[in-house]
Amino acid sequence: MSGVVVPERRETAAPAGAPSASEGPRPRLRRERREWLAAGLFLAPDVLGLLVFVAIPMVLSFALSFFQVSGFGSYEWIGLGNYRRMMGDPLFWDSMKITGLYVVILVPVLFCVSLGLGLLVKQRLPGVGAFRTALFMPYVISLVVVGVLWKFLLDEQTGVVNRAMRAAGFDGPSWLGSPGLALGCVIAVTVWVMMGYYMIIFLAGLQEIPREYYEAARLDGAGPWTTFRTITWPLLRPTSFFVLLMSTVAALTGGLDLIFVLTNGGPANGTSLAIFYIYQQAFGFGEYGYASAMGSFLVLIMVIVSAVLFTVTRGGRFDDGE
Amino acid sequence: MLHHRAAAKRAAAPPGATRRRFLTATAGAGAAAASPALLTGCGTARAGTGRLRFWNFYGPQRSPDPAVNAQSKWFVDTVDRWNATHETQIDLVYLPRNTYINSFKLPSAFATGEGPDIFLLSPGDFLRYYNGGVLADLTPHMAKEAVDDFGSALDSRKVDGRVYALPMEVEPLAMFYAQDVWEKAGLSEGDIPTSWDRMLDVGDKLRAKTRAGLVFETNPGYLQNFTWYPWMWQGGGEVLDESGEVAFDSKATRQALQLWQDAVRHGIAPRTPPAAGDVVGGFKGGNVAMWQQGIWNVASFKAYAPAFKYGVFKLPVPPGGRYLTALGGWSFAANARSGDAEAAAEFCVWALGSMKDDSVDRMVDWCVGAKSDVAPRESALERGAAKGGYDSAVMRRFKDEIFPGGRGEPRYPPVVYKAISDAIQGTMLADRGVAGETERAAGAIAAYTESYKGASLI
Amino acid sequence: MASDTVATRSGGTPGGRRRPVSSRTGLTVLAVVVSLISLFPVLWMVTSSFKTRTTVTDGNLIPRDFTFDNFVYVFTEVPFARYLWNSFFTSAVITVVALFFHSMAAYALARLRFPGRDKLFGAIFATLLVTPPVVLIPLFMVARQLHLLDSYAGLIVPAVFNAFGIFLLRQFYLQLPRELEEAAVVDGCGHWRVYWNIVLPMSRPILSALAIFFFLANWNAFVWPLVATSDQDLTVVQLGIASFQTQYGSNWNYILAAATVAALPMLLLFFAFQRQIVESVKTSGLK
Repeated sequence: MSGVVVPERRETAAPAGAPSASEGPRPRLRRERREWLAAGLFLAPDVLGLLVFVAIPMVLSFALSFFQVSGFGSYEWIGLGNYRRMMGDPLFWDSMKITGLYVVILVPVLFCVSLGLGLLVKQRLPGVGAFRTALFMPYVISLVVVGVLWKFLLDEQTGVVNRAMRAAGFDGPSWLGSPGLALGCVIAVTVWVMMGYYMIIFLAGLQEIPREYYEAARLDGAGPWTTFRTITWPLLRPTSFFVLLMSTVAALTGGLDLIFVLTNGGPANGTSLAIFYIYQQAFGFGEYGYASAMGSFLVLIMVIVSAVLFTVTRGGRFDDGE
Repeated sequence: MLHHRAAAKRAAAPPGATRRRFLTATAGAGAAAASPALLTGCGTARAGTGRLRFWNFYGPQRSPDPAVNAQSKWFVDTVDRWNATHETQIDLVYLPRNTYINSFKLPSAFATGEGPDIFLLSPGDFLRYYNGGVLADLTPHMAKEAVDDFGSALDSRKVDGRVYALPMEVEPLAMFYAQDVWEKAGLSEGDIPTSWDRMLDVGDKLRAKTRAGLVFETNPGYLQNFTWYPWMWQGGGEVLDESGEVAFDSKATRQALQLWQDAVRHGIAPRTPPAAGDVVGGFKGGNVAMWQQGIWNVASFKAYAPAFKYGVFKLPVPPGGRYLTALGGWSFAANARSGDAEAAAEFCVWALGSMKDDSVDRMVDWCVGAKSDVAPRESALERGAAKGGYDSAVMRRFKDEIFPGGRGEPRYPPVVYKAISDAIQGTMLADRGVAGETERAAGAIAAYTESYKGASLI
Repeated sequence: MASDTVATRSGGTPGGRRRPVSSRTGLTVLAVVVSLISLFPVLWMVTSSFKTRTTVTDGNLIPRDFTFDNFVYVFTEVPFARYLWNSFFTSAVITVVALFFHSMAAYALARLRFPGRDKLFGAIFATLLVTPPVVLIPLFMVARQLHLLDSYAGLIVPAVFNAFGIFLLRQFYLQLPRELEEAAVVDGCGHWRVYWNIVLPMSRPILSALAIFFFLANWNAFVWPLVATSDQDLTVVQLGIASFQTQYGSNWNYILAAATVAALPMLLLFFAFQRQIVESVKTSGLK
């Protein structure tokens, strides 16, 4: 770390001594240059790191999408072959459909649940700290373990969920044994894991809304729903946008660990999200080129989705830069 | 062990030099053009380390399960013995089974030329590895009698008569059943079903709210396909016929898919395995009456539920069908791209495939000592039997009744596997039409085999 | 600190007191119910870690034959303490280094003027959109070229660089009042001094919030450590948990005991700092 720090000190120390200031005919330009240089040095470690460990792998993976890759070090240039294969692969499009369904259900549900919890734990309730901790707890556990846990809890015969249902006089279904239900379970478990995290984000956003607004609303005789609609919702917009964007990106690229343990993409490909299908092609079947093509396509989708989100929300608050 | 510390220190210091060199090398050359070079042109991978790495999922490890410990010990002893008598030294690298089979680890290593020198290989992966050119030819190191001693156990590991992997075990599938459940329902040995219909009837009779009558594998994967093949074979069905033509769309295939679909549809077979797939836990907890499973569970029962009363029987047969079961089992393989592929191949043969006594005895120790398996070599099977390895009622039945109708797990590549898997999953768990799924899978397999280049698929 | 007291005061407004008792009771009951739903699986994990190998799958919440052996086994038969240490060490180093680098980069992106700044920010943001499984193999190749495999550096260095932190810190710096910095510049401070003496101390709330989330994410890391290390001495805790899965049938009792041990420090961390985390998130603009 110190290796990075030292040159910067030197750089910034120079003007303080200011022996060179007299030479500079155009100090303004020099200051500008100095600022560029400083920016360069501040950004260097992260930009270099992102370049080496994120950008280069991304570019390599994009390059791979034009090759037929054996998985054992042989490469054959096939141009757009992988993309053509992708266009004609019903399994890929099925997985895209499932991904779409997953995102369209997960994101709003997660949003509403987290917002509801945020509103709830914002109240001054006895022991609210314990409630917050309890609701955040699932987020602390690694997804692999989460998968194992829920596999037990959702077991058809001995799982707690079905035992409770039997006690209430119903026969519980095989939660992970049919395509639609299994996808629902994956979504529900994801909500369970993530709700505490977004709850905290919402809680922070809610607490920033000035108290006086609520007081005024109360004096006007506004009910809770009106208060929410006219005060909370509009003032929470930046937070809402942030949660929406982050959970959408996470939904498109995440969930792999959970699916491994919980369903392995089944039953009948019912939980085979695009990310899982890509994984399967790459690591299960050694089709790295094909997987890279699909991965590149997924990145394209994500760029479009983020762009749309930015536009629809007029950039949230991300463009209020200066 | 020691030098990674030094490497860590080096890299933790300002990571300038190496990184820059790398950057100029790749970025300069242009990513698209550079990538294959970067991917393949890595001859430095492991030159001159002198020690071979043997990746496996048995040892060295410690476990509360005596059987697992014995298996680990077998690996450690085998490698120690080799190291004591040979110049080239071998290091065991243990990976948990799930990490080994269904994970990022091996594929990443092989894809980048970092693959292990010696490794364990399943039948389902054989062709992919062979076609990828990473399997070393073991034939030059083997005596002809040894090849004959293995017999048909080598069929799925041969290409053009040459041996590329050596099986360490043979694992047949059978039906396991809980004797107490059986007795409570008023059934006896004589009620053991020999036909599919009878099997469904018994399953229907034995099932309860928290007990599955009959369990077939439900998770999509190579294991599920493996457990399904015998039902297809019994009616004379094939994925590919002797000449390599697609033969999947047949009456036998449809009836096998129908069997699993009916069992699930009528609630006789569950949609997810009981006890999260833990066979011993499921039986002991009373959550299952019959379960199609492999011989490997005999060792698990012995370790965790020695007093539990269970039995095994041959897979029942459809009308007009012929008894068949599938034989699984892993093999030793040597990496042709290893720095010392010769020694790696020699090790595989020395360990399992030499005519020397200690080689045969080693296999006996593995199959009847550390594990409970059928030995893939005639000589080892005889010796194991003489040692009393097949004296228990269950093991005797496996050796004398179940195994003789066995057929090795096929080595279909991923696309074929996936087409069949989708057909099984779609009919069994999504209630799709049997005829449609069979036809679709046959089409997918045909499209693949037309353009397939590589070693024979059968 | 100031915001802390404000929050406490505004949280405990008269509004809360004047609310009808029945509605507050109702909300409390609701909070209890959702907390229990949230907590139950975690509780089940903890109690099941006291079950034996054969009863762990029975589905009961309370173990029938209670045993402590799983924990004894986890710590005596495998070097689980070592795994914990490896995870702690790598997560801590990643967190500290990452926060330092990210705050530097974010400061530059938020405050310093230089050509192409917005494009650079856009490019950095775009790296959030990578498809993880696809870049794994190329990343592995890069790590190999840099001789990072099978080393602590290999666990740490690639995990440091993540646009998420830069993005959030930039948002935070955009909201900070400029006056202090401008005063410092007038005083003749260079950019580094401004950053080090003014901006960094002011970043404390967001850095502490991010520290928790970064640490947590790396504590739970699985795929990269799996691919990048084979040396047993470098095993991290999540790989340690996975290693209890044996050949056929898994030892769920050990897995759950190990998972409990791994989750416990994180749970305690959150419980102890729960208030501060919320405050940090709030004042940080991480939202």
